[in-house]
Amino acid sequence: MMNTTTRRVAVVNSAQTVLSPAWPDRQHIDLISEAVAGALKGTGLRIEDVDFVIDSGSDFLDGRSISNCGFLGAMGAHHKEESRVEEDGLWSLSYAHDKIAGGSAKVGLVIAYSKPSESDVRNFWTGLLEPFLQRPVGLDQFSAAGLYAQRYLATAGLKADDLHAVSNRAWERAVANPYVDVAEVPGDAAFWNDPVSTPLRASDLARPADGAVAVLLASADVADQVSATPVWLTGLGSAIDQHFLAAREPDALPACAAATRSALRMAGLDDVRSFDLAEVSATSTVGELMVLEALGFAEAHRGLDAYVGATTINESGGALPADVIMATGLVRLHEAASRLAGRTGYETPGATSALVHGTGGFAMQNHCVVTMEVAS
Amino acid sequence: MTVIHQPETAEANVETMDWMAAQIKMPYTLTPGQATGIFLAELAGRRLIGSRHGDELIVPAQDFSGTTGEPATGFVEVAPVGTVQAFTTGATGTIGIILIDGSTVPFVHQLLGVEPEMLELGARVEAVWADEPTGGMLDLAGFAPLGSAATFEPKDDPADLAAAFEKVDYTMTLDYRHAYGPYYGTLFDGVKDGRRIRGVKCSACRRTLLPPRALCDICLAPTAEWVDVEAVGTVQASSVVHIEFIGQRLTPPYVYAEIVLDGTSTRLIHMVGDVDPDVAQTAAAPGARVRAVWSDRHTGSLADIDHFELLPGDET
Amino acid sequence: MSGRSKSIAIVGTGQTVHARRRTDVSQAGLAREAVVEALDDAGLTMDDIDSVIVASGPAMFGAVNQPEKWLVDALGARYKPVVRVTSGGGTGLAGALAGMNQIKGGSAKRVLVVAYDKLSEGQLQASISTLYDPFWGREFAVGIMGFSAAYWHARIKRLGHTEEAAAMVGVKNRKHALANPKAHVKKEITVEDVMASRPLCWPIKVLDVPPISDGACAVILAADEDALSITESPAWIHGMAYYCEADNAADRQMIQSEPLQIAAAKVYQDAGITNPFRQFDVAELQEPYTCFELSYYEGLGLCPEGGAAELVASGETAMGGSLPVNPSGGCMGANPIGATALIRLAEAAMQVTGKAGGHQVPGASRALVQAGGGWANLRGVAVVGSEKR
Ligand SMILES: [Zn+2]
Repeated sequence: MMNTTTRRVAVVNSAQTVLSPAWPDRQHIDLISEAVAGALKGTGLRIEDVDFVIDSGSDFLDGRSISNCGFLGAMGAHHKEESRVEEDGLWSLSYAHDKIAGGSAKVGLVIAYSKPSESDVRNFWTGLLEPFLQRPVGLDQFSAAGLYAQRYLATAGLKADDLHAVSNRAWERAVANPYVDVAEVPGDAAFWNDPVSTPLRASDLARPADGAVAVLLASADVADQVSATPVWLTGLGSAIDQHFLAAREPDALPACAAATRSALRMAGLDDVRSFDLAEVSATSTVGELMVLEALGFAEAHRGLDAYVGATTINESGGALPADVIMATGLVRLHEAASRLAGRTGYETPGATSALVHGTGGFAMQNHCVVTMEVAS
Repeated sequence: MTVIHQPETAEANVETMDWMAAQIKMPYTLTPGQATGIFLAELAGRRLIGSRHGDELIVPAQDFSGTTGEPATGFVEVAPVGTVQAFTTGATGTIGIILIDGSTVPFVHQLLGVEPEMLELGARVEAVWADEPTGGMLDLAGFAPLGSAATFEPKDDPADLAAAFEKVDYTMTLDYRHAYGPYYGTLFDGVKDGRRIRGVKCSACRRTLLPPRALCDICLAPTAEWVDVEAVGTVQASSVVHIEFIGQRLTPPYVYAEIVLDGTSTRLIHMVGDVDPDVAQTAAAPGARVRAVWSDRHTGSLADIDHFELLPGDET
Repeated sequence: MSGRSKSIAIVGTGQTVHARRRTDVSQAGLAREAVVEALDDAGLTMDDIDSVIVASGPAMFGAVNQPEKWLVDALGARYKPVVRVTSGGGTGLAGALAGMNQIKGGSAKRVLVVAYDKLSEGQLQASISTLYDPFWGREFAVGIMGFSAAYWHARIKRLGHTEEAAAMVGVKNRKHALANPKAHVKKEITVEDVMASRPLCWPIKVLDVPPISDGACAVILAADEDALSITESPAWIHGMAYYCEADNAADRQMIQSEPLQIAAAKVYQDAGITNPFRQFDVAELQEPYTCFELSYYEGLGLCPEGGAAELVASGETAMGGSLPVNPSGGCMGANPIGATALIRLAEAAMQVTGKAGGHQVPGASRALVQAGGGWANLRGVAVVGSEKR
C-alpha cells in the first residue's frame, strides 16, 4: 500500500576488507578506503556518480566524537550528502534504500567499519547500558549471553556441548572464507571447554574483528546499466526491544520476529524457508539459534534444525568468528549479495533469493532484516 | 608553556610506533530521574522501592515501563527477598536475574556467597546491603541465599519516601591503542628520528596533503609520492585561548593556530608560542609566518614540536 | 525526479522547557517530555507512530553509548523501528532528513523525530575536544571553540565580520529570547556588554557563547493527505539537505562554508527560491557562536559576501525587520546541542503555521532553516512553508 510510488533499489556492487582480530598496521581510513575503492571497482561508476554516503561506526569504538567527521575523505563523501547512523551498517543501508526509493537520489554508498582492536570492547558493550541500575552490577556482553544461554538450554533440553555444532560449523566456514583472517578451526581445549560465562565458553562468543565493508546502491535505471546482475532489495524491516535485559523474553527475540514480519510484508512473502540463502548476525551461539528461530527458520528452541533446512545458512561463517561491531550486518549483506550476483569467488549456482539479518545494541536489543533477489 | 602529552603507558611502544595510547577520561553527574532516583536514595535506608505502572510492579523503580511506556503512578516498598530466574558465572563472579517477591519485572544483580555448582533456578535470595552506602546501585551489594525469612508485607505508597537523587557521580574511562598505520607511521617515524615532516602528493590534483593519507579526500585518487616539507608555514586561522576547562591538556593562555606548511594544502593544528597573548591577536593573526620550534622530546608525535614561533621580521 | 515524490509536512512539534540543569528527569525522561508535547500537538499517540528517529550529540556528552537503546523505554517504542542519527550540532536536522526519507521511501507513514542533549551531565569542552584526531591536534583543542574562533578571526580579516557585528547578533538573539517561553537565558544585553565580556577564545568572548543547556525537541512527520488528516495546518517541507566536506581536504579555508553553499543551492532549487532575502519571511539559523550567524547570512545568500556586518547592523534581521533571524532567540536562548537543529526546524514550523505565540513573525508563510555541526564541515538547510509545494 505504501510502496506504490517508490522506486526499486539494487545492490550493484559491494566489497569488504579482510576481517581480522586486529589490523595493527592500518588505520580506520585505510580500511574504509579499501572497501570504498572495492565497491566502485568494475562498476563503471566513479565517486562523482555517487549522490550520497550513509555510514555506520561508533564513537566509543573509534575513540573520537562524531567520528564520521574525520573519515569523510576516505569515505568519498566530500561535498556530498552524508549521515552517520550509529547502528550496524544494515540500518545505514535501510536509510540509503529509502533515499533512493523515494526518488531523492540515484546512487548511494553505504559504509560500515570498526576497529575494536583499538579499544577495550567491554567498555563499548557496558556503555550501552543505562548507567544507574544495570551498568554498576557487573553485567557485560559475556554475562548477558550466559543468562540467555542458561534459560535457552534449559527449555530446549540441550547441553552446552550441543552448541559446539553451531560454533564448529561457523569456524569451519570462516576458515574457508578468504575474507576472514583465520587459518584453522581453533584447536585448543580451553577455547571449547573452559567457561567464560557459564554455560558458555569462548567458542560460543563472537570474536570481535577489525574491518570495513562498502555497498553501492542504485536506482533501477542506473543499476540496469552498470550491473549484469543487480541484486534487488525486496523487503526491509527493523524493530527494537525494550532496554532492560531482564525485562525481555528469557529465551527468544521478539524484536527480531517483528523486524522479520515487516520485511516479509514489504517483500510480499510469508515463508522464509523459500529463501535460498540466509546470512544472520549474532553475538553468541545461543544468540544465533534464537535469531534463526525468530526469523522463522526453525521452531522455538529448535534452532539447530535450521542448519539442515532448505535455506543455506551463514555459508560465510557468520558473525561468530568475525564480529565487526557496527558492520557485521552489512558484511552479511555483502556476502549474500555477492553470492546472488555470482561474483568471482562467490559462485552459488541456483541461488536467487536471500535473507540478511543484522543486530545492534546490548545483547541484541535491535534487529534489522533485509530480503534480496536476483532475476532467475 | 609545555605540551602535556602521551600517557606514560605509551612509552614502551614508542620504539615500534605500532600504536599510540590515548585515554578519554571524564567525570559526569548523571540524573537518574524521579523513580530510579527514589530507588537509589532509599537504598541507604535499606529499603527496596518498586514503581507501579498499570498492572506492572517494577523493581527497581523506574520512571517508565519498557513494556508499555507507561509512567510510574505510585511506589511500593517491597520485600528485600526474591527468586533467582537465571544466573551465570564468569571472571567477575556470579550475576543473576532476580524477581523480587510481588514484582512483575525481574532485574540483574550480583549473587554473593553462592557456590555456582550448588545454585539452582528458583533459588530464594535476600538483599545484601553495603556496609557504607556510597550513593548508587551498589548500596545494594547484591543478593545471597535466603536465611530466616521474616514475613514482610509490601507497603503501598509509603509516606516517608526519600527525595530522589538528583545526581549520581560517574567517571568514564576509555583507553585506546590507536594504530599509526602506514602513513602516520612514516610521518611520525621521520618526525621522531630525523625531525623530518613528510606529506604525500595526490596523483591527480598534485596537491600535498599533511597528514599523509592513502587517498586524496577530494579526488579520491591515490597518493603515491612522498614529499619532504619544511617546518615553516603560514597561519591560516588563530585564536587566543583563555578558557580553562576540566580535561584541558594545556595551560592557557596560548595561541591556537591552524597552520598550512609551505608547499602543503592542509591544516596542521598547533600553537604559536613565545608571544604575549595581548599582542597575539595581531602578531599571530591569520597570514602570519611561523616556524616550528622542536622540543627535546622524541615521542613521534606533534608534541615533538614544542610550538611554532613567529618568523622574525616577516611582513605578511 | 520529484514528480511522484511525496510532500512531507511537520504535523506536530514539542519542546521541553530548556534549562541549565534538569535534575528532575533523566536523559530518557527529558526526551520523553518533548515527545509527549509533540504527540499532543498532533493529536496522536505512540500507536500512530511507525518509526522513531533519535538524534543526539556525541555519546560522550552523556556517558551513554547509543542512548536511543535506553530511550526506547521512555518513548514506549518497543518493537518499533528505532534508529539514531548523529551528526554533531546539526544532528536534529540530519535526523529529520532521515525521517523524511523513510516516508518518501515507503518504509514509514508517520515518523517521530526526537532530538536531545543533557549537557549538564558531562564535560562539554573535554567531550567536544575528542572530535579531534588523537594524532592531529587534540591536545590543542578547546572543544570546537578555539577552532571556531580561529576561523572567525580569519573572517574578521577577510570579510569584516567584526567583533561589534557579532555582538549585535548576540544582542539581537538574546532580546528575541525574552519572548520565547521555552528559552532559559532571558537577559537583555548591549553591544558594549559583549565587547567587554571576558575573552574565552579570543575573538570569542563570554557573551558570544550560547548557554549550556538540557533540552529536547520532537517533531512528527507525515505526508500529503495523511498530514492533512492530522492537522489543518501542516508545515510543509519544501526542501531539506545535509552536506559535508572532508575535514582536512586540500585548500579548505572556511572563509565561506562550501557544504552550506552546496546545501543551500540544492534546497533553494527544490523550494523555488531565487531571492532568499526577499522570499523568506523568517529564518532560524543555528548559531553556536555569534560569529556563525554572520557567516550563514553570506553562505545562505541573504547578503553578498562581506555584507553580513552591514546586514545585522541594518536591523533587518531583528524582529520587525524584513527578515527576522532567530525570533526564538536561537542558540543564545537555549543550546541543548543535539536538539538545537531540530528546535530550529520546529520553530520554523511554528512560525509558518502561526503557532509561535509571543515571538510570532506576523503573517510568516515561508521560513529558512540552517543547522550544522562537526568541524563546521556538516551543514544542513531546510525550507518550510504554509503552502504545500
Ligand atoms: Zn587530489
